[in-house]
Order: sequence, then C-alpha cells, then structure tokens
Amino acid sequence: MTSAEHTPERPDGATAPDAKDAPARRGRVRARRAAVMAVPATLAAAGLAILTAEGALGVQFAISGMPFTVTATELNGTGFAQFGGLDEMAEGSPNAGDTGGQVLVVTSVIKNATLSKLCQSVDLGGTNLIIRAGEGAQKVSASDLTTDSTELTGDAAFNNIEIGNDASTLNKAGPKGRGPKGVFSQQSDTVHIGNLRQTNYATTAGVFKLPGLKLGFSGSGC
Amino acid sequence: MSRGPREGVRPAFRQWRAGRPFWGGLLLTLGGVEVLLTLKASLDVILHVGMQGLAGYLLPVVMLLCGVLILFNPAQRLFYSVIGVLASLGTWLTSNLGGFFVGLLLGMVGSCLAFGWLPDQEPRVGRRQRRREARAAQAVTQRLEHKTGQTA
Repeated sequence: MTSAEHTPERPDGATAPDAKDAPARRGRVRARRAAVMAVPATLAAAGLAILTAEGALGVQFAISGMPFTVTATELNGTGFAQFGGLDEMAEGSPNAGDTGGQVLVVTSVIKNATLSKLCQSVDLGGTNLIIRAGEGAQKVSASDLTTDSTELTGDAAFNNIEIGNDASTLNKAGPKGRGPKGVFSQQSDTVHIGNLRQTNYATTAGVFKLPGLKLGFSGSGC
Repeated sequence: MSRGPREGVRPAFRQWRAGRPFWGGLLLTLGGVEVLLTLKASLDVILHVGMQGLAGYLLPVVMLLCGVLILFNPAQRLFYSVIGVLASLGTWLTSNLGGFFVGLLLGMVGSCLAFGWLPDQEPRVGRRQRRREARAAQAVTQRLEHKTGQTA
C-alpha cells in the first residue's frame, strides 16, 4: 500500500517474524487509509457548516442550565405569547421548558421570529463563547422560538395585544405557546422589539437558522 | 525502536497500545465526553422536549461507546469508526454545534485515526533512510539498464 510495506529488507535483516522482534512490530495508522475516511468526513463537516451558515439547516441548542445572554438590534415576530412560570409547566407544552427548580422565569413564545444582528454569549467560566449571526442582509429566523428569561429589556411594540388571559387559553402562538392554568399571560398577533437584551435561563431548545454564523471565544460577553 | 523486554508498567502499557488504535479510540472517547459536558440540560427537560432533545444526548453517548469499544475490541474498529464519525458529524445538528466544534473535531480525528490503523506493521523507517534506500535502488536499476543496453 505504502512504501513501508514494500520495503524489502528489515533493518535487522530478520526474515521471519519471531519472538525476538515482536516488540518492534506494532499497529500503526496508515495515512492513506485514514485519508479514505478523513476526506469525505471533512467535506461533510464543511458542508454542514456552510448549510448552517447559509440558513438552510436548523441547529439545535440544548445548553440549558447555563444562563446565557442574547442580544439583537431588532426582533420581529408573529404569534407572540408570554407567561410566567415557576416550577411546573403545563403538560403538552414540550418546548416551554422546565427550569427544574424554584426559578421564576418569563416564558416567551414566538411562532415565527426574525432577528437582526443576533449575538448570543455563554459564560463558560473565564471565557465566553460568542455566537453572532444575521449581521448581513439575511436575518436570523426561528420558528416556535421559546425562551425562558429572567430578564428582558428592549423597546417593544405589540399589535392586537391581549393582556391578562389565562395562560392555558392562549391561541396566537400555536400549541407551544400555551401555559399552565391560572397563570397570568399576554399574547399578541405581532411583536417588535428594538435593542433586545435577554438573560435567558434554562432554554431547552430552539431551532434557529443562522445566516452569517460566526462562532468564537472572547473575554467579554455580548 | 527495537528495545528488549523490560520490567514495569510503561513497557506493558506500550505493548497494550501497540495492539490497538489507541489515539483514535482515545480521541473519539474524549470527543464524546466533551460534547456531553456542554449539554447542561437536565434529564427532566430532555424528557420534556422529546426525541429532538434525546438525540442531543444519544449521539455523544454513541461516540463515547464507539471510542471505548475501539480500545477494547479493536478487531471491529472499522465498524466502530464509521459509526463514530457519523455520530460526530450528527452532533453538529443535535448538540450545540458539536460541543462548540471541539467535540466534533476530536471525534472526527479519532475516527479517522482508528479507520486508518492497521495492526502488525513494519517498524517505522525514517524518512532519510527511506530516501537513501530509494536512491540506492535507483542506482542499481540504472546500472542494470545501462548494462542491458550495452549487451543488446
């Protein structure tokens, strides 16, 4: 296969493998064999990264339990629901999230959302992982975006807002935007938030399309 | 490279390592562990989310198992490394971009090393020695050609 296999004579001149030179013969990685797998695997990984960066592929995040910060210059969404939660979420709201403790959170559900200049940072202890996306013409988009926040600031505008519904009767953000019975909630047809800044805690999952994805480490967060 | 048998743990470990794709299995295992460490969602939440969330845990566990099996059952390394590389690639989608890329990279490199590994190889020949041998062989053939050309 490679030159070493065709090497006619061994350095010590032995012809038959015997016990004496057994320690010299050992398993080895053959570069050409490894390349048979490495080349397609690298191509596939590059393809995944490109598809994700172009926004053709959704990526799932499950970094729950680590508080992380999300900022965006602009958020536009249709189908908005918001309700408070303590430790028990309604059955059948799979993405609403369960903080697993006595943490008071505000669950925001947006059926279809687009965000400009999204920045998400996670404090990994000493360093921050920063994900930036949607800084170009293409915006970040997400469906059934569910965030459990402890803090949310921004300049908000709502269309057709209903405040004070029972969380279990919400209907504008789909089945995922429904909370437990007897909990204060609000919903609206559309939502616009400028200069959004969220401190999220225990967000369970969200499928994002991230055009112009940039991922890196930094000393400071968003 | 040829050393006599010695007493102690290190030569024994060296011997053990020689019989299996050690670095491949180790890197794949570490990759699985790294991806798992980035998943901080509690099991409660995962069961809530359902299949999607479970896949995030499943793939790194498959990576880890493949890495360990490569180490302890090297005969089946091809199968394990193929499954390992597929699981590693899958974590990009399911588990925080493959443990923020680190676990994905470790898993891919580990799988490729395990895939390319062959047992019972000749001792490594230094590049200089190989070149010298090649040059000697070339000289011999040239001389032969020269000789046959003269006789013809």
